[in-house]
Amino acid sequence: MSNLFQRIFNPSKVSLELDDIQALILRSRPVPYFGTNVLLHIDEPRAGKELIKKLIPLVTSAKNWHKAEEATATVAFTFEGLKALNLPEESLKSFPESFREGMAARAAKLHDVDENAPKHWQKPFGTGQVHIAINIIADTREKWEAKLREAEEELKKISGVKVLLKADFAATEEVKNVFGFRDGISNPEIEGSGVDEVPGYGRPIKAGEFILGYPGEAGTVGYYPQPDILGKNGSFLVFRKYHSKVHEFNRFLQKHAQTEDEQEYLAAKMFGRWRSGAPLTLAPRKDDAKLGADAERNNHFSYKDDQNGKTVPLSCHMRRMNPRDTKQAVISDVNLHRIIRKSVSYGGEPEKGITTDDGKERGLYFIAISAKAMDTVEFLQSQWANEGNFINHGDEKDPIIGLNQGKGVFTVPGDIRRRYNAIETFNIMQGGEYCFLPGLSALKWISEL
Amino acid sequence: MSIIKETIEDLKLKVELLLAKRKYSVDGPSHIVESAGKKGLRSGKVSELTAIAPLKPGGADRLRKIIELIKGDFGGAILVGTLHDMRFVFIDNDTRLLFCTTFDGDWDVYIEDFATKIPELMDLIFESVEGWPGIKDPSVKQYILDHQLTADAWFVAYPNLTVNDVLRNEKIVKGLYKTLDEAQDSSQH
Repeated sequence: MSNLFQRIFNPSKVSLELDDIQALILRSRPVPYFGTNVLLHIDEPRAGKELIKKLIPLVTSAKNWHKAEEATATVAFTFEGLKALNLPEESLKSFPESFREGMAARAAKLHDVDENAPKHWQKPFGTGQVHIAINIIADTREKWEAKLREAEEELKKISGVKVLLKADFAATEEVKNVFGFRDGISNPEIEGSGVDEVPGYGRPIKAGEFILGYPGEAGTVGYYPQPDILGKNGSFLVFRKYHSKVHEFNRFLQKHAQTEDEQEYLAAKMFGRWRSGAPLTLAPRKDDAKLGADAERNNHFSYKDDQNGKTVPLSCHMRRMNPRDTKQAVISDVNLHRIIRKSVSYGGEPEKGITTDDGKERGLYFIAISAKAMDTVEFLQSQWANEGNFINHGDEKDPIIGLNQGKGVFTVPGDIRRRYNAIETFNIMQGGEYCFLPGLSALKWISEL
Repeated sequence: MSIIKETIEDLKLKVELLLAKRKYSVDGPSHIVESAGKKGLRSGKVSELTAIAPLKPGGADRLRKIIELIKGDFGGAILVGTLHDMRFVFIDNDTRLLFCTTFDGDWDVYIEDFATKIPELMDLIFESVEGWPGIKDPSVKQYILDHQLTADAWFVAYPNLTVNDVLRNEKIVKGLYKTLDEAQDSSQH
């Protein structure tokens, strides 16, 4: 467990109602992990409410998030789902517009266009059919299977709720994504959760940025769904399924770099980290497996002495998604665009170095949580992933998650700056949903409507 | 009768426009404008925001004093990084403020960044208008939308260049000319 960062819990720093907040928000992603996503459709409101009643005892709260010995079960709802549960009109109206419209309708704001457009998505995403999303994750196969079985048994007992999709995911002790890179390293901490500050990791961010009903970074409490019992302690969750074209990525590396070392160097320049998770800032020339696995060091750095990007390219994936103290060309507050990521990989890594499509389904379930997750993901997609203006790079997009479509450009600053052209879209969007992640008392309230 | 007359007038206008346009041929980027969302227009990467809001009693004088104190120099606005221009006009005997700006991309996605990065500046200026909720208030987006008017027509010379692009290009050209001048000088020796 050397790579599981021990976040220190300090009970005197708790000011949030942890036992009412769903655990996924605060627990660390398990190492290794095993899990399942289940998407449900509610045929009749009564059945939906009955199911929620039955699921409440299985849903885990954030109380004792630092221990996380058992599996985590999460329940979230789309706006169509809340409608199908017959929430009062006044409550439905109190949800943010983006959530009410749903992810597919927000395609332009999300830059989900061309090959990523909703018309190419897999069913049932974006059809309005998805009502409830359940996520189960654990650090052992046994715990995961046991919790899943419990949930499935409750599901079986109820008629009037349909399973639309059930998909497993997993990662080994090295928690690598399908490209072979350790992921999920950097996540913001929430003030009031009881987490102790770790030197060099930045201060915890005001709770209101992540949990509804608390003051945010501007010092004010934002709008949240009403009545209070429904919105308070809830959050929003953005779910996006990506298919990863690892063979295209390998082909790109092999085309632009001769030796294996050079290919690995180019790959690290694109991600910002080496495969082990070691950041370029701390390991500029070659991978350092020990550093990558050391959670107390692998995220402890700043861009203060690398403002021109000669070590970590301004345009690489890691730096775009969290610019830290990069001097930006457009005014923005990095703390406002942080998001809690609980993304998980599915399908496993392909054979090393493959350059042809083996036809297998593999990729990432991007799971991001915040009090304004829709706004944040729309911002990240439109301003930081598919634009270059904020780093004064013109039209350049994120080389890993940008919609590059064979026309992408990637600039690597250096004593001689290099520019790579004709980048493909390495991660294709396959669909997703905007979800509401209610607190536990809100779940009870919904089930008793 | 009047309908037919209008149609003939319309037709006349169309023919005149066509004849006028025939005299000029234009190369370069498309200058087509489209909706920027709920309100406002967008041309390529650039958007416009036009708003009229009632001024508080004494609001115009307060703003005039601010403008006087900074000697009319809004140079600090360059920090925003996306503002092409900004204009403040007091209209209707100092009872209303006309505010116009041209900027890159969308304003609404950055409103909270303004609220934590430059709240004092935003409020110092806009507290002169009636009903301004404060930049940190969650209703501020709606306040702006409520007072925004979409331009009926708008032209942007370089719709595909952001403020950053223009400033960077200026630097590149300067450097390039310097290098070319140096090459010329050394070849003359």
